[in-house]
Amino acid sequence: MASPLEARSLSLVREGNAVLDGVSFTVAKGEIFALLGGNGAGKSSTLLTFLGFLEPSGGEVLVNGRSVGSDVAAARNAIAYLPEAASLYAHMTAYENLDYFLDLAGKSATKDEIDVALDRVALPNEARSRRLQSYSKGMRQKSAIALALLRETPILLLDEPTSGLDPVAIDEFHDLVKTLAEGGQTVLMVTHDVYGACQVADRVGLLRHGKLVGSFAAENGQRIDTETVHAAFAGREAT
Amino acid sequence: MLGHLTRETRFLIKDRGALFWLLLAFVLSIVAVTFGIAEVSEQRETIATLIKEDAADRANALEGQEDWGSAAYYAFHLTYAPPSDFAFAAMGQRDSSPWKHRVRMLALEGQIHEADTRNADFGLVGRFDFAFLAASVAPLLLILLLYDLRASERTMRRHDLLVATAGSSRSLWLPRALVRVTALVLLLLIPLWVGAMIEGTAASLALQASGIVVASLLVWWLIVELIGRLDASPSILLTSLIGLWLALAIVVPAVSKAAIEAANPVPDGGEILLLQRETVNDAWDLPAEATMEPFVERHPEYADHSEIGEEGFEWKWYYAFQQVGDQVVEPLATQYREARLARDAQAGLASWLSPTSLVERAFEKLAGTDARSMIAYENQVRAYHGELRAFYYPLMFPEEPFDADALSDLPAYDPQES
Repeated sequence: MASPLEARSLSLVREGNAVLDGVSFTVAKGEIFALLGGNGAGKSSTLLTFLGFLEPSGGEVLVNGRSVGSDVAAARNAIAYLPEAASLYAHMTAYENLDYFLDLAGKSATKDEIDVALDRVALPNEARSRRLQSYSKGMRQKSAIALALLRETPILLLDEPTSGLDPVAIDEFHDLVKTLAEGGQTVLMVTHDVYGACQVADRVGLLRHGKLVGSFAAENGQRIDTETVHAAFAGREAT
Repeated sequence: MLGHLTRETRFLIKDRGALFWLLLAFVLSIVAVTFGIAEVSEQRETIATLIKEDAADRANALEGQEDWGSAAYYAFHLTYAPPSDFAFAAMGQRDSSPWKHRVRMLALEGQIHEADTRNADFGLVGRFDFAFLAASVAPLLLILLLYDLRASERTMRRHDLLVATAGSSRSLWLPRALVRVTALVLLLLIPLWVGAMIEGTAASLALQASGIVVASLLVWWLIVELIGRLDASPSILLTSLIGLWLALAIVVPAVSKAAIEAANPVPDGGEILLLQRETVNDAWDLPAEATMEPFVERHPEYADHSEIGEEGFEWKWYYAFQQVGDQVVEPLATQYREARLARDAQAGLASWLSPTSLVERAFEKLAGTDARSMIAYENQVRAYHGELRAFYYPLMFPEEPFDADALSDLPAYDPQES
């Protein structure tokens, strides 16, 4: 059975610069894979190739075994994407935003179903009928996460999903992602947060200057060792 | 597609910025149509009043006259071009060309060219009528509604989320833009349709006008769409589009106009008036033969009645030199007409470079307020004046006995005759 997500010798050149260089990985069903890297490492570009926004210069990316280039719409249909600092519409309420984006995705949800999703991301009841312009960054992020939940896609792509969230919200978010993965959803997240990646991911890939230079996996029911990954991230130890 | 349109309609209803521009379009359309109907009503009232007063004034002038010459001299005759039932939408050349004259049996060309234009200034600045709204303002509103559809989403870092959620760009941007364009078109056209019903405009004409508005906005939509695809900030896109609008709506028409005018010099109407007056005034001091010979060349049927006595005043000599005044300026007047027609034809070609000019010209043509319609009216005045001469000359030159009752057969001006 094909992996939900696969990058095969993925290369990407933009404006003459190699953004990605021969990156290969697979993410299995129900797995959480975190791509870790510093600024400009090529993390977000990797996500954008899975969504068909960037075309690989070499290699290919596959979603559910099908090349994204051959059917972008099918790939996007299978993926819920949460961009960094996702910005839903500030002039609309959480209900209106979710209703609009679900409609855009060709889905619908009752108010009760939306409330369940908003409960899962712990967005306060009293805020749900207010326009997002009065929300904190964390509350906006929660609304966007609720959208990803409501879409019920088999794959989640998360770009710096905890950026701007407070520590409690980050923990809640990690728990939520783990729950989703346990339910069979495949998660690819990119982050520069070593601690967060190690807390939530089943595997961590280390991306540096467009190359996948290391890979760490949780073993024997233990979380990935943060110190080891941090050392590799900082270039102190070979992996 | 219907689902996408419904979704984007609901989205539009929540977008206060877009609603503001749409509401503005609706208000401006109501204002333009209302002004147009008011102006047309005023012109019709003016014509109705003039018709009434003209008949009474002429009857008064003819009463007690004892010869054909005096009757012809003192009577005025109203001519006019009534506004069409679609003129309310495009006043066009009616603002800069005369649409009513009170002519006498005197030399005609001077009477045509001395007529006041009520709103000469509008010839420069343009009137705020529906044609101006549709041609020039509507594209601006369309630009403001569409220019940042993509760019603002990129700025807000929402673009990729939207497209990834929608699956394809087509199911997002096309319906979003289509809803806005449709709303703009409807809000512009509804007042026009109401105005057309009030004015009794033919449905086919209203449909053609609607088609012009839709076609124009589709062209501008295409322009905005092409430029909007550039990966630039909303402010750069807006600046580019406004610059393009300025070029197409102002610069291209102005440059075309200057080039066409330079290529087709038109004698001033005042030159025609002056030359004619000089000719007519000089005739008083010339021997009668100097007038009667060119007159008889034009009217050989009166050769036997062209003798003018040595002393005293004769009406037929007076009217002959009025006619010769027209004959002398005829080449200039023809050149004036032909150059205006040539300018109009070339302006028609040049308008293909400017969507705004093309729309305005199309509206003026539908409304019968274009340059050709106004020149056609001038020709109607000439034809009618010719009828007056054809009525009086056979009575005046053979010196038929005056019969006041015969004046009831004076030709009446009919604006429908071409």
